[in-house]
Amino acid sequence: MPERINITNLSKRYGATVALSGVDMGILPGEVHAILGENGAGKSTLVKILSGVVSSNAGTISLDEACIRPSSIIEARRCGIATAFQELSLIPNMTVAENILLPRASSGRFWPESKASIFERAREVLIEWEVNDISSQSIVADLTLAQRQRIELVRALSHARCLLILDEPTAALPDTSWLFRQIHHLTSRGVSVLYISHRLNEVREICQRATVLRNGASMGTVDLAGVDDEDIFTMMVGHGSSKKKRVSQESSTNGEVLLETYQLRSKMLKGINLQLHAGEILGVAGLEGQGQQELFRLFGGLHKPTSGEIRVGDKVTSLSSPRKALQVKPGIAFVPEERKTEGIFASLSAAANISIPHFAMTGWAKLVNGRIERHLAAEAADQVGLAPRYLGFEVGHLSGGNQQKVLLARALMTGAKILVLFDPTRGVDVGTKQSIYSMMRHFVDQGGAIIFYSSELSELVQLSSRCLVVYDGLITDDVAANEISEERLLASAHGPGNARKDSLQEAV
Amino acid sequence: MTIKRIADSGLMIMVIYILIFAMYGAVQPSALSAYSIQGLFNNSLPLMLAAAGATFVILQGGFDLSVAGTISLVNAIVAVLQFDGALGAIGMLAIALTVGILVGAINGFVVAYLKVQAIAATLATMIICQGVALLILRAPGGYVSDFMTYELTGSMSGIPVAIIIATLVALLWFVFRRTNAGRNLLAVGQDAKAAELSGINVARTQFFSFIWAGALYALAAYFLAALTSTGSPSAGEPFLLLTFAAVALGGTAFGGGRGSVTASLLGAATLVLMQKLLFSVGVSSFYTGMIQGMIMVLAVLFSGAVQFVVDRRNII
Repeated sequence: MPERINITNLSKRYGATVALSGVDMGILPGEVHAILGENGAGKSTLVKILSGVVSSNAGTISLDEACIRPSSIIEARRCGIATAFQELSLIPNMTVAENILLPRASSGRFWPESKASIFERAREVLIEWEVNDISSQSIVADLTLAQRQRIELVRALSHARCLLILDEPTAALPDTSWLFRQIHHLTSRGVSVLYISHRLNEVREICQRATVLRNGASMGTVDLAGVDDEDIFTMMVGHGSSKKKRVSQESSTNGEVLLETYQLRSKMLKGINLQLHAGEILGVAGLEGQGQQELFRLFGGLHKPTSGEIRVGDKVTSLSSPRKALQVKPGIAFVPEERKTEGIFASLSAAANISIPHFAMTGWAKLVNGRIERHLAAEAADQVGLAPRYLGFEVGHLSGGNQQKVLLARALMTGAKILVLFDPTRGVDVGTKQSIYSMMRHFVDQGGAIIFYSSELSELVQLSSRCLVVYDGLITDDVAANEISEERLLASAHGPGNARKDSLQEAV
Repeated sequence: MTIKRIADSGLMIMVIYILIFAMYGAVQPSALSAYSIQGLFNNSLPLMLAAAGATFVILQGGFDLSVAGTISLVNAIVAVLQFDGALGAIGMLAIALTVGILVGAINGFVVAYLKVQAIAATLATMIICQGVALLILRAPGGYVSDFMTYELTGSMSGIPVAIIIATLVALLWFVFRRTNAGRNLLAVGQDAKAAELSGINVARTQFFSFIWAGALYALAAYFLAALTSTGSPSAGEPFLLLTFAAVALGGTAFGGGRGSVTASLLGAATLVLMQKLLFSVGVSSFYTGMIQGMIMVLAVLFSGAVQFVVDRRNII
């Protein structure tokens, strides 16, 4: 069968940084093809080149045996290539309909199309791709993250005539079955799909073949049915990953209570009581939108409760701003979920990003000493496993996983004893996950306390010394270390007294 | 979402305008005569058009200081050329628009394609245009045809020409906002990166916003010449800050992506009306700027408060 897409020796350089150095691969018509690789292996760059966001320096891409070189999203779409980006690309203040149909929302040639007719056209697109719970008239800013991700996907699905590129499409999706149905729908028409995900079980479920990238070069294409995970890891990192068994942890609720809430209420929360002890990693599990996001933002000082108490280090405090949260002893450092918009200063160096809290706390008139900055940053970077050579880079140029490490290093830098992490490993690769895990364990060994939410149950099972389950704004279960299992968390996450275990995929 | 819709639709500024107009009518009943209303709108029109133009650029997230230079330049050109009659006025309009669009195209090219910061680039074009204006017209004066002076500041079948022009601009925006170009303009203003990933040609969108702006500045200068029946190489200077004040008063966000040209038209009209009101109640003109500034802060605070309420509701 002739290949739909053939990529030969594709290379891309950003100044001195080599992002891609010779990628060769081919995608068959109607195939779902995975790209696997660690952070910085070049996956995002490959996506950007194929979708027309950046141009390659060398190499060729051919589509149905004709050479293409898309220089804009629109040009790529004209070739039949559409992309759903990992960092969602929707316009927040516009309607779902307008977002789906941009940049040609109005089809009128001489006179703008009426809103009603635009809504209707978008509704048809939504129906075609089985999205029945989102109105084409709703404003994107009012949607949940999962809904926004589906809109982003629908837009790409509707434009893909030859190739659909999905970059971490399930990062915010509670349920993969919808997406997989749409992918099958698309491939049955002969459209190829390039699927990028860190979740290997998903990749195995939907993809036929995978190309592995390492350090910007392709390591080869494998038939997924014929290799086991170990082989893939070996190709990705160059050596077999040592499978760690879960270190059995003691429930360490005998440490001093660092953070405590009493009947905490807000828009989504209906009276949260919890205690966080020193030396403890407290996991929080829950289906999407049960109030966990609001709870974490409360701790970060980004949101105010309507009633109830937060005690930090035994004193009732109002966390009225992130600065307040950091200053109140023993300090709360919050790492938010949306690092692109809420975390990083993309144009500052990694070192400056890490050391900002230090300088923010030492007084406004003190000059920033570059040497101290790098020294402090290097220490914190070491703890999260960020390679020192990245410190001088602009954060915006680092891969997602390294950006996350920078954010965590900054949180450590604050000297806070309480870390509040919301889905700290969302969209990062296996290697980064491991460094984040070991940083977290190290942090609590030093007497700190961590409360973290994760959308991956396996992570909660692996890390938590205790795990809370939130459901509908309440804590419905408090699971001790020796009882934590994916099945238990899943059952509780579906509501009290609900022991559905059949939907592991749907819950996470 | 209703409160947000009110803030975005420019309804607020309309209410403010009507309130101030009512006060004005109360303290000065003669202001309600057709003749006075015509005069009021003639006085307001140049600032209204300038504010409408600036809004196109601000909505896409840009900034345009060249308003002062463009108005001075076009005003000087109109005053130097001597065309009479209706045809002459039309020819003059064509020349004015051409010059305005040309300045806009230069701004747009430098900002959108050469990626020079908008403030720096448009500051430069402002200074250049002011310089050229001085070359064309050394001192205030020049010639404006009787047709322009009387017909363009008069009425057509009972409706002041100024109101007709302002309505046409409002209509233009009403249609433009619903076109792809209009939607893309707002999308770029909200999030240029996301807009680009959505397939919008961001540079072209920015470029055309400056073209619209240049054309409307030229229109402002043209009607300014008709109003004053003379030209001045520094005619545009008072417009610089008042234009931005009018846009802010209309509730358009300086960050881009939110606002409306119609609201800016009303914002500008409100600023001028306020001057009249303060003058008629005998407030010394020394205080006029101060009071205008305070009203502006209040208006911006109000729309900020609305946004705050909306945002709080959206926090998940």
